[in-house]
Amino acid sequence: MKKKYSIASIVKNSLSNNENWGKMWRSPNPKKHYDVIIVGGGGHGLGTAYYLAKHHGIKNIAVIEKGWLGSGNTGRNTTIIRSNYLWDESAYLYDHAVKLWENLSEDLNYNMMFSQRGVLNLAHNEHDIKEIKRRVSANRLNGLDTMWLDKNEIKDLVPIMNTDNLRYPVLGAAYQPRGGVARHDAVAWGYAMRADELGVDIIQNCEVKGIKTDNYKVEGVETTKGFIKSSKIGVVASGHTSVLAATAGVRLPLQSRPLQALVSEPIKPVINTVVMSNAVHAYVSQSDKGELVIGAGTDGYNSFTQRGGYDVIEETVRAIVELYPIFGKMKMLRQWGGIVDICPDASPIISKCDVEGLYFNCGWGTGGFKATPGSANVFAHTIAKDEPHKINAPFDLSRFSEGRLIDEHGAAAVAH
Amino acid sequence: MSAINNNCKYISKKQVKITFDGNTYQAYEGDTIASALLRNNIRLVGRSFKYHRPRGIYTCGIEEPNALVQIISEHNEPNTRATIKRVYDGMEITSQNRWPSLRYDFGAINNILSPIFSAGFYYKTFMGPKGFWKNLYEPLIRRSAGLGKPPKNFRSKSTHQYHNTDVVIIGAGLSGLAAAKKFINTKYKVLLIEQDSYLGGVLKNSNKVKTINGLTPQEWISETEESILNSKNITILKNTLVTTYNFTNHLIALEDKFAGKKIDLNKSELTLHKIRTSNTIIANGHIERFISFRNNDLPGVMLASSFEKYIHRYGVVPEKEPVIFTNNSSSLSLLKTLINLGCKPKAYVDSRKKDNIETEIKKILKDKEIPFFSDAEIEGCDGNKKVETITIRQGKSFDKIKSSMLCVSGGYNPDIHLFTQSKGLVKWDKNILSFKPDTPFQKTITLGSTSGNYSFKKLCDEINEKLSIFKTKKVSLDINLNVPNKFSIKELWETKIKNKSNWAKSFIDLHNDVTTKDLKQAITEGFDRIEHLKRYTTNSMGTDQGKISSINSLAIVSKILKKEISEVGTTTYRPPYAPLSFAAIAGRSTYEFYDPERKTSIHSWHLKNNAVFEDVGQWKRPWYFKASENETMHQAVQRESKTLRENAGILDGSTLGKIEIKGRDALEFMNLMYTNAFSKMKPMTSRYAMMLGEDGMIKDDGIICKISDQHFIATTTSSGAPKVLADMEEYLQTEWPHLQVYLNSITEQFSTFNISGPKTREIMMRVFPDIDFSNDAFPFMTFKNFDYKETKIRIMRASFTGELGYEIYISPKFGLELWEEIFSCGKEFNLIPYGTETMHLLRAEKGYIVIGQETDGTVTPIDLNYNWMIGKNKKDFIGKRSLSRPDTSRADRKQLVGLSPINKKDIIEEGQHIVELNELPKKITDPIKYLGHVSSGYHSPNLNHSIGLAMIRGGKNLLGQKFFVTATGKTKNIPVEIVNPVFIDPENKRLTS
Amino acid sequence: MILIKCPYCGERDQSEFANGGEAHVIRPKNPESLSDKDWGEYVFYRNNPKGIFYERWVHTHGCKKWFNAVRNTSTDQILKVYKVNEKRPDLSEFQNTLKSPSGEPSVGSGNFAVKK
Repeated sequence: MKKKYSIASIVKNSLSNNENWGKMWRSPNPKKHYDVIIVGGGGHGLGTAYYLAKHHGIKNIAVIEKGWLGSGNTGRNTTIIRSNYLWDESAYLYDHAVKLWENLSEDLNYNMMFSQRGVLNLAHNEHDIKEIKRRVSANRLNGLDTMWLDKNEIKDLVPIMNTDNLRYPVLGAAYQPRGGVARHDAVAWGYAMRADELGVDIIQNCEVKGIKTDNYKVEGVETTKGFIKSSKIGVVASGHTSVLAATAGVRLPLQSRPLQALVSEPIKPVINTVVMSNAVHAYVSQSDKGELVIGAGTDGYNSFTQRGGYDVIEETVRAIVELYPIFGKMKMLRQWGGIVDICPDASPIISKCDVEGLYFNCGWGTGGFKATPGSANVFAHTIAKDEPHKINAPFDLSRFSEGRLIDEHGAAAVAH
Repeated sequence: MSAINNNCKYISKKQVKITFDGNTYQAYEGDTIASALLRNNIRLVGRSFKYHRPRGIYTCGIEEPNALVQIISEHNEPNTRATIKRVYDGMEITSQNRWPSLRYDFGAINNILSPIFSAGFYYKTFMGPKGFWKNLYEPLIRRSAGLGKPPKNFRSKSTHQYHNTDVVIIGAGLSGLAAAKKFINTKYKVLLIEQDSYLGGVLKNSNKVKTINGLTPQEWISETEESILNSKNITILKNTLVTTYNFTNHLIALEDKFAGKKIDLNKSELTLHKIRTSNTIIANGHIERFISFRNNDLPGVMLASSFEKYIHRYGVVPEKEPVIFTNNSSSLSLLKTLINLGCKPKAYVDSRKKDNIETEIKKILKDKEIPFFSDAEIEGCDGNKKVETITIRQGKSFDKIKSSMLCVSGGYNPDIHLFTQSKGLVKWDKNILSFKPDTPFQKTITLGSTSGNYSFKKLCDEINEKLSIFKTKKVSLDINLNVPNKFSIKELWETKIKNKSNWAKSFIDLHNDVTTKDLKQAITEGFDRIEHLKRYTTNSMGTDQGKISSINSLAIVSKILKKEISEVGTTTYRPPYAPLSFAAIAGRSTYEFYDPERKTSIHSWHLKNNAVFEDVGQWKRPWYFKASENETMHQAVQRESKTLRENAGILDGSTLGKIEIKGRDALEFMNLMYTNAFSKMKPMTSRYAMMLGEDGMIKDDGIICKISDQHFIATTTSSGAPKVLADMEEYLQTEWPHLQVYLNSITEQFSTFNISGPKTREIMMRVFPDIDFSNDAFPFMTFKNFDYKETKIRIMRASFTGELGYEIYISPKFGLELWEEIFSCGKEFNLIPYGTETMHLLRAEKGYIVIGQETDGTVTPIDLNYNWMIGKNKKDFIGKRSLSRPDTSRADRKQLVGLSPINKKDIIEEGQHIVELNELPKKITDPIKYLGHVSSGYHSPNLNHSIGLAMIRGGKNLLGQKFFVTATGKTKNIPVEIVNPVFIDPENKRLTS
Repeated sequence: MILIKCPYCGERDQSEFANGGEAHVIRPKNPESLSDKDWGEYVFYRNNPKGIFYERWVHTHGCKKWFNAVRNTSTDQILKVYKVNEKRPDLSEFQNTLKSPSGEPSVGSGNFAVKK
């Protein structure tokens, strides 16, 4: 590691007026040819490049980003991390990520501020209780730390929650202590810095206009900075994945939808865990800065505008005020939207396709951030070996023709 | 020292008392907290976010980055802008982010350590040793975060109001009023929205305009307001701020109903206006920006136009002898205002060259002998928690001047926030050195300074031209000015610090404590994109969204990067314009109005009979009935279940969805929608049926009554009803429009009772003495219509408990009457009411499935051994093709089985899993393979042991085998036997008795 | 919030409607004759273009009628609304301003505010 960050480096730099910190990454011009091109410079894409270089010895890699690093969903999500998914396939995938999260700051020597403050999923009716209890039991057998909490235990964790005096009272919750939040931008920056150190070319402000193929084999990408040759292309472009796939003649079962989030003004700590609810639809956590970070639902139509309907914001705030009456006295500081690519079964696609050398990592819908290191890690494996890692093997494209779906809607309306 | 401007008309003479940090102060009705504090010479009002530096009042409006306070008397409302919030008698206010006191704040140590708290500091440290982050660093960071303290004891009560209108004018300043004038007595429906409680904007906030059409500004405003009020087509909303500009000219505006008054807890304090308009005119003016210099955050530094606004709008001269620092021509207005009041600035510092400075300014300064520094700048200011000395750089010389206030003007930015929210494009204007609106995306017009037009003289032409799309008369504005009409500005964003120091700070974002040094550092680290920079340094991410500083940061960055500002671009302005109350967004749709409660016609009876309810969708359904105060749910359900199997029980099934399917092609339609075949089904019979998705998975079930080939009634699950009807409609309208079928939801048209148990027939005969309930006359799965009193009823022989049972459908109007009749007849047969829990238990004993419990969106009818429900000879139905895909035809899919404990005392818990191990390790590291899960688990009072239904991999072939079921909190598993899922009456003797 | 002109009721807020995804996807006449792949495509795959999109809406909280719309998904502008039984309008009726897959239209979308 060339750039080592520590309290010592901070003190040293502070003495020189903080003018001598070096660049975290280069801004190279694209080469004519790369062994692997990753399209999309978000957390998943940069992470993939990092693991390709670190674990698979591939050094001639480019990450091509249309805007700036982390400008898509990496920098727009509500940063929730958890792995308490119902199905084994999902639990393995997401917990692979949580385990990597636990050491990521040390691994990259960049503090992602991964805060394992626990995640609560509330139950508001008998059906929720049944679903959660089943999930807790399945998680236990898969070695996850999910547990059932009753109302009083929830009250202890979140004293400001209105558990009784609301339309759908809080009856209990699933609680995963290892879950939490992380600083989303830092994930992109940390991976970018260390990938760059390993020789990966990070090319920002370069738009991929199309993927060139010949006889079901990739040849390279046409970009705003010219044609770049490569025999392996990994597409990690979230909302825009299907439009890019279309340029290679590949069709994916994805729909791009607006997903909105909002933050409040900063206040002193008042809620120390992440709380999610489906029936009273909102999820909230408090950032280290003191802002309440609140996630809304997806809009019901396709859109690439990075903006959703106001009614969704209203729905969400209504739920927040219902569950936490005192937040009514607070104010929304900012609202924004991202474009999420949603799969029919609410599970991602990390897969090869009919075109040789073309790989997709997409369909994360509303819940991709939490998987970032795990997703990047298995996607790097898939690209390097031209075959999936056993963790992502079930998340292939053929599951849609075979009917082998990993349906994470199940009981939950949204699989955050 | 502050002084009073007695000419101010907007402040009443009525005195009110407020407290700030425990001290009581006199203020006037109409004051904001800020004007009241300035009146009392209070300059220090808060501590900054990161370094806990002392901060004062910087502006006089919504753009305020510093003066955020907590309103104790309003449920502790945090982060309230002192520059906006009006005072009332008894208002209790405290400062924020300080401990133990505002004057002596322990957190100020951060200022001493500030060189190491540089941009990105958090990311570079706190990483080890292991566990320190989680247990030490992060809790510390979190504790020091945030500004105000959380609110207390609050319940929202705001309302919403909807508007559909032709034109919305945002801002009732000079441009807005002149535009509104054009619409007086026209056919256009107009909404004029003003954030302040008075109209007039710049006319009442400054001294810039001398006369309009021969009238004083005050007279012109009054005249205009009166004529607008007399015009029926225009509505004025005051104290209302437009915060959000959505697609299709949809605006959100927030009205403060209690501005300057104590909130009446019984009334709605805020009204959120949702406005749909055909045209939007944005005329909300401009925002002055600051200049970065050393210690530009000290209390006493204030924007020049804000200083002037305090004088005109609130009648407070914050300081009689301030220093004025400007880079443009507009500060003449402040200069004149002060002179008129007999005040004399300590110095006038203008960064422009002497030749470029207006003659009038030079003349006044000379006449009044005010020290004048041209081609000069403020290097910085110093003082203990307030401005004391100000250092002026002119060429290579430095002058120090003593003054307690410094008025700064770095130029004006058109207020483009709403315009960019509307997705319009802005363009850099070199003349005003700012972004101004260029290409609108919606029907948006910008007027006056919002549009970048800083010339009062050109305003009239601009309005007439831009509003020529409306059929209105021309307006005429003859404006006489106190300031030069031509706006002149010299580029100046940051002044150079004289003595380089690790501690010297020029702020670029006062709210988030971002310095110009942070910007430079971020760029050297590679964050050379404005959005990156914003996120890395948190620049312009505060509650003010960098209103007075974001353009400055763009300019500074563009200089470092040696790029044009237009190339650097702006960050996107995200709605809302200013922080927007959550209570107002939520409106009245919370608490009792969060979601409607649906109740059946029997609800009052259930209440009287001690029902405990559960929420099923929006329905309130009896869950179980308490026979006595101390009866537990378990006891109640065991009692209900046993009594029913021995005698009889009745369930209020009115919540079940009911859909009527009618028309020429009803039969064909039903055959397509459901798995079952309905062709050979006889009229007046019924059938249990299943509906799949195209993916082959079970979506819903219910009983289908066939009246004829042209008429069916389908029942659905209680919560699935809307979806089933919607899906049917969708297929009918979009896939098979050639089918002549009409659908009708009749859920609410009937009260439905499910009565079952061995004594049911006797009870029914009592209630309906004229009806023959014998097996021959009324066999299982048939139904009939009867007259009953003045109404008609339908009775179907069906059962979900496995006992002899009937379903009665009656108009809700007569529902309760019949229900009570049944009870009076059923008394001697021990008829009991039962709830959903008992229903679930009884059907589990019988091996009947429940949608959403045995099924979870991944279960096919074949998985449930319900192959008999699939119309084999049907060519097609929804989901049929999917049943033959490789994965859905796998032999080892999860299939429905029953579970019986080997040790009859063991309890099979719902949701637990079936494993091969009799014991689990204490800590599970490698996943344990499991076969499936317990989808239903109950203690059966009729078998006297626990039973379970389970979905198990390859379950059909595992009957008789022994496995284990996990148990909550235990490592020891429960041995069970896989059995047929039908525990009671597998021969259906009871059902058909 | 989008304003949608229901062909039966007139202009209403989008919150009154539900979206039904891509329009003109016809359910196969004889599903049994389709391969697993083709059937999977019918059930799970829908076009997801950035730009001109033919889609279905239903006026859920109104007349409950289904209808079709042509919308530019990069700006959310609704370009045309037509009844289910009406002919699919030709693509040439609408100007697709998108130059590249991830490109933005000149105004009305994305994450930029400055005129280039």
